[in-house]
Amino acid sequence: MDFSLNEEQLEFQSSARQIIESRGGLQLSRQYTEGEENVLNDLWAELGELGYFGINIPEQYGGLGMGALTLVPVLEEIGRAVLPGPYAETMAFGTPLIKAYGTPEQKQKYLSEIAVGKRKVSLALLEESIDFHPSTLQLEAQEVDSGYVITGKKLLVPNADVADTLIVPVRTGGGHGEYGISLLLVDREDTGWEIERLKNLDETRNLFNVTFNNAHISEEQLLGTKNIAWGILQEGLVYLNAALCSTMVGGIEKTVEMSTEHGNTRMQFGQPIGRFQAIKHRIVDMKLALEGSRSLSYYAAWAVENKSVEMIEAVSLAKSYTSESYVKVAGDNIQNHGGMGFTWEFDCHLFLKRARALENYLGSPNEHREKVAEQLGW
Amino acid sequence: MDFSFTLEEEKFRDELRTWLEVNLPDGWIEGTYVMPEDDATKGPFLRDWQHKLSEGGWAGISWPKEYGGRGASLIEEVIYEQEMARVKAPTVLNIIGTAMVGPTLLQIGTDKQKEQYVHKILNGEEIWCQGYSEPGAGSDLAAIQTRAVKQGENWIINGQKTWTSYAHFADRCFVLARTEDTGKKHEGITAFLVDIHQEGVETQTIRSINDKREFNEMFFDNAVVHESDVVGEVNDGWRVGLILLSHERVGVARQTFRLQKLFEELVDLTNNLKRNGKPLIQDPIVRQQLASFRAETRAILLNYYRHLTETIRNGRPGPEGSIDKLNSSELTQRILSFAVSLQGESSLLWKEDALVSASWQQAYLRAYAHTIEGGTSEIQKNIIAERILGLPKDIKY
Repeated sequence: MDFSLNEEQLEFQSSARQIIESRGGLQLSRQYTEGEENVLNDLWAELGELGYFGINIPEQYGGLGMGALTLVPVLEEIGRAVLPGPYAETMAFGTPLIKAYGTPEQKQKYLSEIAVGKRKVSLALLEESIDFHPSTLQLEAQEVDSGYVITGKKLLVPNADVADTLIVPVRTGGGHGEYGISLLLVDREDTGWEIERLKNLDETRNLFNVTFNNAHISEEQLLGTKNIAWGILQEGLVYLNAALCSTMVGGIEKTVEMSTEHGNTRMQFGQPIGRFQAIKHRIVDMKLALEGSRSLSYYAAWAVENKSVEMIEAVSLAKSYTSESYVKVAGDNIQNHGGMGFTWEFDCHLFLKRARALENYLGSPNEHREKVAEQLGW
Repeated sequence: MDFSFTLEEEKFRDELRTWLEVNLPDGWIEGTYVMPEDDATKGPFLRDWQHKLSEGGWAGISWPKEYGGRGASLIEEVIYEQEMARVKAPTVLNIIGTAMVGPTLLQIGTDKQKEQYVHKILNGEEIWCQGYSEPGAGSDLAAIQTRAVKQGENWIINGQKTWTSYAHFADRCFVLARTEDTGKKHEGITAFLVDIHQEGVETQTIRSINDKREFNEMFFDNAVVHESDVVGEVNDGWRVGLILLSHERVGVARQTFRLQKLFEELVDLTNNLKRNGKPLIQDPIVRQQLASFRAETRAILLNYYRHLTETIRNGRPGPEGSIDKLNSSELTQRILSFAVSLQGESSLLWKEDALVSASWQQAYLRAYAHTIEGGTSEIQKNIIAERILGLPKDIKY
């Protein structure tokens, strides 16, 4: 019995924290919302040089050859600083799917470029009805000689401005069901796509509508087997959801620290407000939400790494619990800070907005609970 | 991360499972058992069970081998609690004796005390209870008023204790009493080993809201204790009392594992109860609530494992046990409340008239004690706030 991160993983955590903080921590995220979107380039470059994009990539492609669990501490640090960018999508969706289903050429190209921080990946999943049912995937890829042509839209695509590759589920076999869905690796340098930026309540996390106009994609860009990639897509979503949990844990942890510090220093009625049980006990409730979220998220990452039979259940339990906890805790943090917690200038709202963004990203808490019920045969 | 148990630990589990299959009371494994309601039957029933446990070597599993124990490791104790929860084994009547008084005497008792009490604790010959709380000393435990005055070789005890679990089945009580008034409430307390079958001790069973008799009031009216029955030094009883509590290593494990079992039973209940001809588990709102409870029960179990890892690493438990205690008692209460509510109007029927199972209504009412006994939820929150988060202490009045 050993339920903890190991020395090496903790080492990753503390050095990631150091790097992010030395470059401004939360300020990076704030500058980004104020239009200085390049502020992150140096950070990602430094993390790339130090191997943070190669954690779960095999050594033969220039990675460190570790598992999903070692991503956990890094994802937590990204969540603490509410950092923008497709780190989770790249490392926990693109990487594991290419690793498992890519052709040797795809692995060589993508994994070695991801490993050194040269290529970022996002996913272009949703269509008009913003739904996860297979029938809502209707973007058609017409087969032409040596490849496919796609014309149409994907909605709410995260980080389509900085991603170099989009993984795009398309319909290659007609129909409305799970059969007939394929995944394409669409590269900006080959094909490009048009983006339309959407105004997003979480301004640290840009969403786009992406349009493909007669985009030609060669058949070498097919990821996995034609027409039967629905299962692969679901597998990727499980991995990515697990990763989102870890980023949320980082955010929750930071809000608990903010409230604790404020409780110790803010004086009212001649006392630090953390001495009043109304405040003190609310901070404890936040801490309880943190501990539960962390345990469930660690376990989800462990289940992913070990391909446990409980993997889907473990991830959905973690996602529903953690995302609801994050929204609650981020709101409590605002209340604990009183009027200043409500201001744009203070940091509290960054966490609330990120919490709301991740709550429904890739499945609402209700959808994940229904998934748990199905997994348990209820 | 590694959630597996060693081969040796699994062997321990198998051995216990095999023993339980043979030795649990009739009907227990099948789930058709009924725990006797009246004390006259329940007392002997629990004593028999205690006797069986000690015969089988399953009474004092963490005790050193030289004193008849199994010398079990912390993990083995955890496995023990897991298995006992799995089969919903009857209460261990002498839990205070085996988990707390015995180990305390082995640690700081005199040779005479060890000789006189220890083996009788293990074989269930003498059942122990614990006299800590008083009507005026609940969460503020050090505010005890029960007094002991020296008279020759004896101490004379006067006062009242309350919430004394199973005192009506007990033979002896580990009593904290005030022996000196220094003005500081943690000083001047002494720990005594008291024979409660004497004239000066009267036990009155308290009838609880679930119509059970589990707790007691105890009245000491010139009760006599020989000076050889003082544990540790005179006036050092607060420290001794804490040593006793520190021996309860796996109480939180017990609660955590029972919660997992309770959740499984809730799922069964929603499978069996029907509304509009369909099992409740198919109702979307019920499913959502169940999945939500599932997330919480798993979080509590996994928190416990994470804290256990730290305990093993540090060699001692930290204040994180308060997180586990608080979470599991609060969630137990909410699950039971939900289970009663699901039964609709028939939830009002209990005991022999219960339509589903009498145990839900009983357990629901009992759950109101979970968030009070062993430190209220509010006290646990203070511990977490002050000792884990480093928030300021409450104002001292």
